[in-house]
Amino acid sequence: MNQVGAVGLIAALVFAIYGMITGAIAGKLRSPRMLKSAQRAVLGFFAMATLAVVSLEYLILTNDFHSAYVASHSSRELPLIYKIPVLWSGQEGSLLFWTWLLSIYAALVVLMNRRKNRQLMPYIISICMGVATFFSLLTFWVANPFNQLSLATAAGVTPYAPPDGNGMNPSLQFHSMVIHPPLLYLGYVGMAIPFAFAMSALMTRQLGDNWIRVTRRWTMVPWMFLGTGIVLGGQWAYHVLGWGGYWAWDPVENASLLPWLAGTAFLHSVMIQEKRGMLKVWNMVLIILTFFLSIFGTFLTRSGIISSVHAFAKSNIGPWFSVFLAIIAAFSLTVLFLRLDFLKTENRLDSIASRESGFLFNNWILLAAVLAVLWGTIFPVVSKAIQDVTVTVGPPFFNKVMIPIGLLLLFLTGAGPLLAWRKTSFQSIKRNFTVPLIFAAIVGGILFFVGVHRLYTWMSLFLCAFVAASIVGEFYKGARTRMKTSKENFFSAIYNLTMRNTRRYGGYIVHFGIVLMFVGFAGQAFRFETQGLMGPGDLLQAKDYMFRCESIDAGKKANYQYETVALSVTKDGHSLGVMKPQRRFFLAEQQPLSHVALKTNLARDLYVVMAGTDPDSGKAIIHVIINPLVQWVWIGGMIVLLGTILALIPSRIERQMADLHKNQQEVAEAHHVR
Amino acid sequence: MSVSRLLKILVLSLALVNVAMAAQTPTQIEKDIGDKVFCLCGCATTLNHCPMLHCAEKEEMRGIIRADLEQGKSEPAILQDLVNRFGEKVLAAPPAHGFNLTAWVLPGIGLLIGLLLAMAIVRRMRRPAVQAAGPSTAHPADESVRSAVEEEMKKYVD
Repeated sequence: MNQVGAVGLIAALVFAIYGMITGAIAGKLRSPRMLKSAQRAVLGFFAMATLAVVSLEYLILTNDFHSAYVASHSSRELPLIYKIPVLWSGQEGSLLFWTWLLSIYAALVVLMNRRKNRQLMPYIISICMGVATFFSLLTFWVANPFNQLSLATAAGVTPYAPPDGNGMNPSLQFHSMVIHPPLLYLGYVGMAIPFAFAMSALMTRQLGDNWIRVTRRWTMVPWMFLGTGIVLGGQWAYHVLGWGGYWAWDPVENASLLPWLAGTAFLHSVMIQEKRGMLKVWNMVLIILTFFLSIFGTFLTRSGIISSVHAFAKSNIGPWFSVFLAIIAAFSLTVLFLRLDFLKTENRLDSIASRESGFLFNNWILLAAVLAVLWGTIFPVVSKAIQDVTVTVGPPFFNKVMIPIGLLLLFLTGAGPLLAWRKTSFQSIKRNFTVPLIFAAIVGGILFFVGVHRLYTWMSLFLCAFVAASIVGEFYKGARTRMKTSKENFFSAIYNLTMRNTRRYGGYIVHFGIVLMFVGFAGQAFRFETQGLMGPGDLLQAKDYMFRCESIDAGKKANYQYETVALSVTKDGHSLGVMKPQRRFFLAEQQPLSHVALKTNLARDLYVVMAGTDPDSGKAIIHVIINPLVQWVWIGGMIVLLGTILALIPSRIERQMADLHKNQQEVAEAHHVR
Repeated sequence: MSVSRLLKILVLSLALVNVAMAAQTPTQIEKDIGDKVFCLCGCATTLNHCPMLHCAEKEEMRGIIRADLEQGKSEPAILQDLVNRFGEKVLAAPPAHGFNLTAWVLPGIGLLIGLLLAMAIVRRMRRPAVQAAGPSTAHPADESVRSAVEEEMKKYVD
């Protein structure tokens, strides 16, 4: 199977190179035959990349330790659910996985555009296959997952298989880790598609409304995956790392945030181009930046150039990525520069107090956030290169810089939708802002009197109230209008309103999810921690909660040994049940890991970690954290996901517009063929 | 209630909240310092977040912080003590002097340049528009349908 996988990888590389060249020729010569051949190359690339992935999974599932990759990252006792993710737990496998996901995206683009976007398709294929060529080459040449172990003896080189593998990093053996990396990768990889559409639109001068409409959807999908992956990564950190937090501004975390922020900026500013034919160059820059940051994120995640809690090994793929990033920047900016004349704005800005300005300032803040996170992330490398001093840039820096930016962004989230397109009169501003501001002021007053005195926390919750009120107001105003005109009841009106314009109201739901996440972030200000040594019968108090150690036990599972403490929890004399934090020791990997015990409700999480056992007393070291409002972060993340899915569903208006554009495109292509 | 009155209330509330900051206790100072320095065991996390069991570096650093606190040292003095012992790499944020100042200043400069750019774009876009030079793909027969749909959209998409 190793040979089959290796052949699949070589064949995928050949198809990628062929598709890249044929696509470019098809675009240049406008040859339908060459285009067909390029499309078949994409499907061939998909088939061969799939063959390579299936082969590697087969080697993993059958414990074939002749494979160097399987021996390094898997073991016999690893449960099946964690054997599948072995594919992306190491560098070689994850690069193959990246290549495979790109092949899926590229094949989908080909299959979904068999009868549309025909002029754009040759260059889309060429660019996608160009990216595929890079990753296939890297997987084949630098980080081949199909290398075999061998022993050099007097009789010559013979294949070798150790009795068992090194196993998977224990911290990765967690349920959200099964889907967190694939979602992040779907996000990173998927940004190649809007980039390909944008470049193709520039190269073919097809810079009307169509490419931007198609690209928006192809951007939303990876943006959704990336956002969900980031939230799941936070959940993983919260449950596995044992420090009671979900975001530590680690370089690898930042790497995923960067393209998400740039993609968010694009998804907002693209509306100005669709509605008003403005910011065409800016949108191109944002698409290029988003893709560039996606590749940069992959590079940062996999190269190990910056010290990270994710602890990926240093590797030799850095120079390859540097060259590829330089090629992307040079190619895309050259194409953009050559087509500047085709990107002139069609309209003028009527007023500074308008939705357009709101989006511009939203873009300004989002790009400032990108700059701040990027600069903080790469600063240790820059410092080492310039002053030969190793500095670290961690949470204190990012919190100081990013909290004000985040609050400004939160304000714009509420203020933007209250501004009208083109021009908003002072009367209209007064009318739209009064209720949300009064509501926020009431909430702010209550918060102050109940003891919320930290400035940023108070401001965050104040702005959350403002944004939530503005969103609810938008739904209410729309529903009231429908109730008057269509005689619908309130709930039908809300439903019909939303489904009539899924994009707008899906967007509001996304904003509402962000508000809930900020409520959760604000809760961190009230976090309480305590620690104690506990043996049977010992008590530990944490605020109103009393923990009593009932027993300390030990045991063994297939791939780890564990020690566990049973802690009964009471509050005001009422029992809240028993919590059982564990300390696990993974046998194959020879690594310890905490298994956190959690009791959650919407107000707070009780987070208990067994940090270890005191060697002198034999008592358990228990760390208790009371984490207020954390659940709102996950609920908010879920609502962002649902809002995005809703916004992806075509509304009736969009379907009408799509039909209209399809007709236009058919006419245009008929002219083009003639 | 007028917008200016609302703004005054908002500013007043912010000032009140700022004044009402709680005083720090020694335990709080220890916790705050734990968030401001990195554990040097190689875990790449702050002292408070180091997940290592029986981490010698973590215990050594905590010991220094507690000893300094017992001597009545302030938070900046304890941080300086840690820097003197372990170097600047112990700080979780670069100190704001020399080249490291750029770490703090650049995001602010970026924010300012971005604001100026956004304002320049707004000013530029307020001038009369230039006719797009790219080829139009619109078909005259579709114009009436397009106007009808766009009129419809105006009612709902704003």
